[in-house]
Amino acid sequence: MNLRRVAAVASKEWREVTRDRMFLLLAFVMPAIWMFVFGYGLVLDVEHISFVVVDRDHSPLSRDYLYRFYQSRYFDFQEALAGEGDADVWLQSGRARAVIIVPEKFQERLLSGQPAEVQTLIDGTFPLRADITKSYVIAINNAFNQELLVDFLARTRGLSRGEAQRRTSPLGIEVRYLYNEEVRSTWSTVPALIMFSLMVGSPLLTALGVVREKETGSIYNIYSATVTRLEFLVGKLIPYVMISAVNVAVLWLMAVLLFAVPFKGSLWLFIASSILFVLTSTGIGLVVSLLVSTQQAALIITVVVSTVPTILFSGLIVPVSSLSRASQFQAHLFPGMYYTNITRGTFLQNVGLAVLWTDILALAIYAVVLGTIGYHLFTKRPRT
Amino acid sequence: MKPADRLVVWCRRLTVMTRKELVQLLRDIPLMAFLIYSFTLSVYVTGNGIQTQLRNAGLLVYDADRSLSSRELVSRFHLPYFRFDGELIHADEGFRRLDRGRSMMVLDIPARFHEALVSGEPTAVQLLVDTTNAPQGLSAAGYAARIVGQFGQESVLARNGLAASSSTTVPMIVSDHRVWYNQDQNETWFESISHLLRMITIFAVLLPAAALVREKERGTVEQLLVSPLTPVQIMLPKVVAMTLMILGATAVALFGVMQPVFGVPIRGSLFLLFSLTALFIVATAGIGVFASTVTKNQAQVGMMTLLVVAPILLLSGIFTPMETMPAWVQYLMALSPLRYFIEIATGILLKGVGFDMLWSQALSMGVVGASLFGFGLWRFRRQFQ
Repeated sequence: MNLRRVAAVASKEWREVTRDRMFLLLAFVMPAIWMFVFGYGLVLDVEHISFVVVDRDHSPLSRDYLYRFYQSRYFDFQEALAGEGDADVWLQSGRARAVIIVPEKFQERLLSGQPAEVQTLIDGTFPLRADITKSYVIAINNAFNQELLVDFLARTRGLSRGEAQRRTSPLGIEVRYLYNEEVRSTWSTVPALIMFSLMVGSPLLTALGVVREKETGSIYNIYSATVTRLEFLVGKLIPYVMISAVNVAVLWLMAVLLFAVPFKGSLWLFIASSILFVLTSTGIGLVVSLLVSTQQAALIITVVVSTVPTILFSGLIVPVSSLSRASQFQAHLFPGMYYTNITRGTFLQNVGLAVLWTDILALAIYAVVLGTIGYHLFTKRPRT
Repeated sequence: MKPADRLVVWCRRLTVMTRKELVQLLRDIPLMAFLIYSFTLSVYVTGNGIQTQLRNAGLLVYDADRSLSSRELVSRFHLPYFRFDGELIHADEGFRRLDRGRSMMVLDIPARFHEALVSGEPTAVQLLVDTTNAPQGLSAAGYAARIVGQFGQESVLARNGLAASSSTTVPMIVSDHRVWYNQDQNETWFESISHLLRMITIFAVLLPAAALVREKERGTVEQLLVSPLTPVQIMLPKVVAMTLMILGATAVALFGVMQPVFGVPIRGSLFLLFSLTALFIVATAGIGVFASTVTKNQAQVGMMTLLVVAPILLLSGIFTPMETMPAWVQYLMALSPLRYFIEIATGILLKGVGFDMLWSQALSMGVVGASLFGFGLWRFRRQFQ
């Protein structure tokens, strides 16, 4: 490999990139914009669940019960309906996600020591929201039941309230949250967004670079030049790797300064694995660009190959452990997952090489494999 | 020429150009292969694989009591929500195991747990939760609290001589949940639908954007300009051809994968579904047309569209409910046609509602689409003056 020729290819590519002002601007601005919008916008907490109520009992107890829903920050009260008939329309139109129906004789039954059935209709089109809504309702019901039981024992057994409370003392659960002590969803999304921005942005940058030469025909200059395959590919990649490396630094600063995510781990480990990751993500772009011949195809294939798995299978939103087996397998095929482990590990967990070495090794293997594939796919004697 | 003749000529030109675009698309073999992959295999894998609800959360147990009660409590943590990852010998082993990231939580049961439950002394179990993924951690803690609460309540009832089975004599609220439209909370339905919408969005923005810029970049647009075609007749066929292509692919995904394999119901009108899908594609293509007019080459347009597509995919309410996003993000997302179409698609497929329920969403989508498209067209024309 002749380094001067590599430098020549790299500087030619760099000039091409810098002369296209808009492309250059987008290459740097895009990851930062994403980080900003997603850092604030990708809120994964389920709150403000809009709901309507049907109170058939109209008793002090039913009002007391429903009051707990009005008060909860998880629920947004919309309207009290006269009958169940209107509930359909509210759910169908999406204006309400849940309907709570308090039956007749709610107070009468409970005060006489009988159970009462409260119906909750939940919009199931969005399973995650439905599931969380259900747990909120159960939590409110449980707290209410606890008080009912204390009252009941106090009345029927002639115990003092304190005594009844003692006898019904529930089994406590002390939860301690580790790594992200205040359980802020930004703390978990922002480190993963560094992965997202690089994984989605860098392959496209690179893919367009090589296909452009193919499509415009300027690649024939390379075919006829003395530059070797390896020199060409390395030179071609250098500017894009540099752009991506700058982006990692910017994203890291945004995470720490703007979103105030603590960085607990080793910076060197983060830098080293980021460089590996940048090599793999640009490598994906390189391989795609060698397979196709139009920029349109390169654009779409890179987006489908890099964006979609990155959103779905990299642990950004859905943790890899809760995927099905086939998808877990798929998740292991993409580099995003490993780098998510590394960013979250270095930002939040302060774990070192002892824990992360498998992820780093996976990225290294990925980089080497992509490089080899790229090298073999690129030929200076294309069949035409 | 009579107006009627003019219309015939106009339509004929449109047809010819649309055919040209279709041929051009079909000849790009890698692209076509990807279109097919995206609307079949990819929908299948995603529909099958993604679960946003808690699944397989690795649970480690440190049981200092080793009694009947503690074992009973541990046995309540079971699949599909919790995966038992083994017992710890020492209490402080938990941190190290969580560091490694394989397990998600440690349940710590204190000594004399059983005694306390029987005698009614207050007692508590401890739970360490890995919250590097905050929502998942919260969700796991919520499930655990539900299990522990239920267990505690049962032991309270038993202690006070009110067996859980004779709950007819206890004043309690019995929760009766009915999850509508998707009773089993079948995630394959929602995930396959949302994946289909993701794919439609990607193709609808990227295909016309790239195609329009390509003509500009290669200079073939000059050839078209000297032809008797108007700018509208150059642009519209591209959008029409792509809409047809994507609609076809959507039909393949719906009737080839989602309905037969996942059993996704089609409760509403198919005609309505496909007409609104066509509207959605055209509206989304407006973004691509607009992007193509502010950029000079395909590299630029690729970056530009991706910049816009990523937020559309992530923030239109497919992954996270819109309700929880900050207000400014919600305003921004009012510009995303997908934000309305997700309601329309799940409405027609799962809820079986008709146009009377969806008109406002359809109207918003139409208005957004028309403005994007109109603006794109205006800029496209201006380029040629």
